[in-house]
Amino acid sequence: MTIHRRRFLRSLAGSGLLLPGMLSELMANEALPDTDPLAPKPTHFAAKAKRVIFLFMTGGVSHVDTFDPKPVLNSRHDQKHRDRNFYKGSGWKFRPYGKCGTEVSDLFPHIGSQVDDICMIRSMTNLNGDHFGATIGVHTGSATFNRPSMGSWISYGLGTENANLPAFMVISAGLPYAGGQVWGSDFLPAVHQGTRVIPGNEPIANMHRRLETAELQRTELDMLSYFNQQHLKDRAGDSQLSSRIKSFETAAGMQLEAPELFDVRQESQTTLDLYGLDPDDTSSFAWQCLVGRRMVERGVRFVELIDGDSGVDRNWDAHAELTKYDRLARNVDRPIAGLLQDLKLRGMFDDTLVVFTTEFGRSPFVASPGTDGRGHHSRVYSTWLAGAGIRGGIVHGSSDDLGDNLGDDEVNVHDLQATILHLLGMDHERLTYRHAGRDFRLTDVHGKVVHKLLA
Amino acid sequence: MPLGWATDQEEFFESRVRPLLIRKCYECHRRKAEGGLRLDSLKAILMGGASGPAIIPGKPEQSLLWQVISQQHAEIAMPPAEPLKAGEVRVFTKWIAEGAAWPQAIRSSRAGPDPHGITDDERRFWSFQSLRPTEINKAKASLDDSARNPIDTFLTQAHQERGLIANGPAAPPALIRRMTYDLTGLPVAPNESAEFTAHALKDRKQAIDDLVTRLLSSPHYGERWGQHWLDLVRYADTAGDAADFPIPEAYKYRNYVISAFNDDKPYDQFIREQIAGDLLPANDDDQGWQQTIATGYLTISRRIGVSPQNQLHITIEDTLNNLGKTFLGLSIGCARCHDHKFDPIPTADYYALYGIFSSTIYPHAGAEHKPYRQDFVYRVGDREANETLAVFRNELNKLRKQERAAFERYRAFQTEPIKIPGYNRDTAWQEVLELRSQIAVLAETFPPLETAYAVREGDAGNAAIHQQGNPKALGPMVQRGFLQVLGGQTLENPSEQSGRLQLADWIADADNPLTARVIANRVWHHHFGRGIVSSTSDFGVRGKEPSHPELLDFLAAYLIHNDWSIKKLHRLILTSDAYQRASQHVAGNAEIDPDNIHLWRANRRRLDAEQLRDSVLAISGKLDLSPAQAHPLPHYLTYYFRQHEPYVGDFESDQRTIYLFRQRIRKNIFLDTFDAPDGNLHVGVRRPTTTSLQSLYFMNSAFILDEANRITSRMLDANPDASTRVAWCYQTLFGRQPEASETEQTQQLIATASTTSGEHTAWSSLIRAMLFSNEFLFVD
Repeated sequence: MTIHRRRFLRSLAGSGLLLPGMLSELMANEALPDTDPLAPKPTHFAAKAKRVIFLFMTGGVSHVDTFDPKPVLNSRHDQKHRDRNFYKGSGWKFRPYGKCGTEVSDLFPHIGSQVDDICMIRSMTNLNGDHFGATIGVHTGSATFNRPSMGSWISYGLGTENANLPAFMVISAGLPYAGGQVWGSDFLPAVHQGTRVIPGNEPIANMHRRLETAELQRTELDMLSYFNQQHLKDRAGDSQLSSRIKSFETAAGMQLEAPELFDVRQESQTTLDLYGLDPDDTSSFAWQCLVGRRMVERGVRFVELIDGDSGVDRNWDAHAELTKYDRLARNVDRPIAGLLQDLKLRGMFDDTLVVFTTEFGRSPFVASPGTDGRGHHSRVYSTWLAGAGIRGGIVHGSSDDLGDNLGDDEVNVHDLQATILHLLGMDHERLTYRHAGRDFRLTDVHGKVVHKLLA
Repeated sequence: MPLGWATDQEEFFESRVRPLLIRKCYECHRRKAEGGLRLDSLKAILMGGASGPAIIPGKPEQSLLWQVISQQHAEIAMPPAEPLKAGEVRVFTKWIAEGAAWPQAIRSSRAGPDPHGITDDERRFWSFQSLRPTEINKAKASLDDSARNPIDTFLTQAHQERGLIANGPAAPPALIRRMTYDLTGLPVAPNESAEFTAHALKDRKQAIDDLVTRLLSSPHYGERWGQHWLDLVRYADTAGDAADFPIPEAYKYRNYVISAFNDDKPYDQFIREQIAGDLLPANDDDQGWQQTIATGYLTISRRIGVSPQNQLHITIEDTLNNLGKTFLGLSIGCARCHDHKFDPIPTADYYALYGIFSSTIYPHAGAEHKPYRQDFVYRVGDREANETLAVFRNELNKLRKQERAAFERYRAFQTEPIKIPGYNRDTAWQEVLELRSQIAVLAETFPPLETAYAVREGDAGNAAIHQQGNPKALGPMVQRGFLQVLGGQTLENPSEQSGRLQLADWIADADNPLTARVIANRVWHHHFGRGIVSSTSDFGVRGKEPSHPELLDFLAAYLIHNDWSIKKLHRLILTSDAYQRASQHVAGNAEIDPDNIHLWRANRRRLDAEQLRDSVLAISGKLDLSPAQAHPLPHYLTYYFRQHEPYVGDFESDQRTIYLFRQRIRKNIFLDTFDAPDGNLHVGVRRPTTTSLQSLYFMNSAFILDEANRITSRMLDANPDASTRVAWCYQTLFGRQPEASETEQTQQLIATASTTSGEHTAWSSLIRAMLFSNEFLFVD
């Protein structure tokens, strides 16, 4: 039994949510590691990162307009391309930032100011060119079948540091393409699926106790324990039953901890300014970033912040409306840069991995000159990493002169996943789960750790 | 020249002429036929419009079309907005001079070994094979053989081969709870359970037969199984897109589906009605109208794009995607841009089907930039409706013109403020509102003609392949027809019909190897929690192989030979030992077959969202079991929703969950939390999850608190004497009698709680705890 776990149970008992009898019963269960799928587990080797903040931009962020400057493409703007329509240069200027001089477009000046800490990958590829396939591809390693999400694998592999909160939490105002599959646990035990938080006044529905007193709730949960134990007597070996018993425990913990977690007014004005957050505004990405930091601070292993949903005016899909990028970038640029700085100020930057990605890039070509948009492009696009174990200030890999094809050093979604697991101290070939007669992996039969990215 | 290979002239037409026609001419000279002229077939071009034939092949200068596009005509210059460039005119010159070639529709993949063909290997894939003759014979023989349920013969063999020892039958209270939830989605009432248990002790077989009969004839059966169907067809009451316009008629299709299950409509007929009900013969007006409503299945696709014609290709893709998955277990949509990567569906097949739906008119339910509905179907027919409505429409159109103009003035303030004294953005908006209220008043006087959200026949014609899925890059025309791997039937050429009627027959054909297998497997899936093919909507190469292929064929054949009666298939399944087994875990079996593929036990299943809500309301006595009709929506003439002001409808209802108002872009948090589909995607298999959010819902939601209080009052009213209360709770919430020890321990819990919170509160705590419990939420 871990210290955290012990502390959690004590806090339940102390707050009147558990009867002493129930507490001892739970304590007893702790002796059996199998009964607590969320208990912290040892890593395969020493970990650089203890936790991950995964920034996912829904819709497909154009690489050639953001993190991958293409002067050759720009010089041919509006000219006819050999066999595929017309070249389309970027409408945004790129400029070098920091000591390293990595170029970033004017859409992201704040992120630009952090490039010395960022490892820019300009050779990212995904499995599929559709939103659905590419979105689940980057999350689960499969563009077709349902598979557990990366956060679920990490929850399964590492457990949680804070039993009052799930190991995998997602902050998303709407549903991305593929909806809840993005944080689904599929064949992994259901406790590992992402818990979705919806920005707003009640980020987690029903997180406030409705009964008048904590004592009443305690009575209820004690009675519940009786019924569930009776029911379990003849029904051993059914993990859905024990998962559900566990889920009430987590729920009681969330009820205690969640209100405090979401109370960003506890932050200093300096911190709020870093993110550009008005504390009354829960709808912005800045709120997501700050709450994301508060989550990892409280021991959540994998926090995913999703920008946008499947509504085209709210995401980065831009077939005919690239101009919206100004608005979309403004919404995320400063908060993300603020998050990186805040993690540094708190000494968390060295053991927190930050990933910025999207499902694919966008095409350097358009069907007719003047089109204010670009098609999907999964052959090559950009992603960046920062924080724990990452070599900052470098550019890894490249696309060709047009941003059309892969140049050097491909990093596919499996490689990205293998590298994230590696930083967390896990060998992606050894993190397996037996299902339907075989051992499954997040990376399936693919994936190689990209050592060049690592510090 | 082999069929399917284009001449140089035809290639020139496809690569140069057709794209110009589409880009420059079709806005007015296709469906709209301005000046009586259509330019979408050679026949129409030669026939010409009000000014005579449009071209004379071989003679560009004498061709009217050439004259008007080259600005040589005295009166007419086309296109009106912007003349063609010189190079574009030259394309037409060359085309007409060389004889105005217009390729005949082809099925490019039908002929010979071309790259779009299907290989013999692909054809040999299991799901494309006919049902096994031996299973068909067994199915025929079983019709009058009541000795042993054939399902058990199949499974017993599988058990013997593996050394599995199947569980014995479930106890009667567990069995009736399972069956009642399975067939009606409702909890079993204590008296039903007691009667069944008593009967089963005397004559188990007869008791089960009677129970199956009673449940299958319950009107609540259709409400349960209709929901399974609505999952597949992504039913909702709104039109989606950013503004999410409500569709007041949508519920008619929902109710049609429920009735179809209750009436045990033969499944092949159910298919035909949903695809082509408007074209089927009917015995009377009512039947005809219901069949028209059935095509609401197709109209659900009309939920993308902001105007009636905009994004038609996406609408049709949605239709084909859903039709493929729902009826055939195939993902056809992949073939829109390229030959299907895994399944033998060439792009040409996609466009053979596409032409059928581009020859069909989908109604438009309204969207931000085109808020006016159009093409809904009137029960009295268009002519009579037009006559009845003419006067009202005249009045409406006048007001609408003013309203749009006022709205444009209002919007103009966003870009360039209009400087008129006393006129500002607010007054402009007041003007809009005033006109809208006038329209609302007029709407109330509109004769309430009965309408349906249904399709109708449009201008029939084949479709051209969209190269790489781009509707502006047209390739060869494809003859309307069916998937080659399933027979490749085509329409007669030329056909004046859309082809929906024929398509419905091709799908519903008993010889179609997929249709019966797919639906039999779906029924099996819902009874056992897992299909024989576990990927219930993918019977293709990437799907899962059947765990019991012979059994699947037998069930499919059984369905066909029982006139496609779904209820008979239910009865066969429910009366099998396999269905009735106890759910106990047995270590020895679990080692051999951990996932229970061979059904040595019953799968324990969590109540789904609908079962949960309906159960809580049923037990609290609040559930209104009457079937719901229309939602109380405002009049459709008053809709002006926009992406910034989308429609939001919240209707309180105590009726069954299937009747709740479903919006496409707004999720119902309760349904979402408990894994109901979100209404935009076809869902064949719901994946139940266990989350702390669900547990918070039980602990802290107003719904559970209110209903638990109601249940407590009901329980206290029914049991003035405290001694019967515990039994009431177990019977009502768990569907069984408590053991003596449980009664004692439960009373102890009450006694303990009473000392601190009083007796009434203690009972209410008990009831809440029982509602939270696994025994309530899981069905053995």
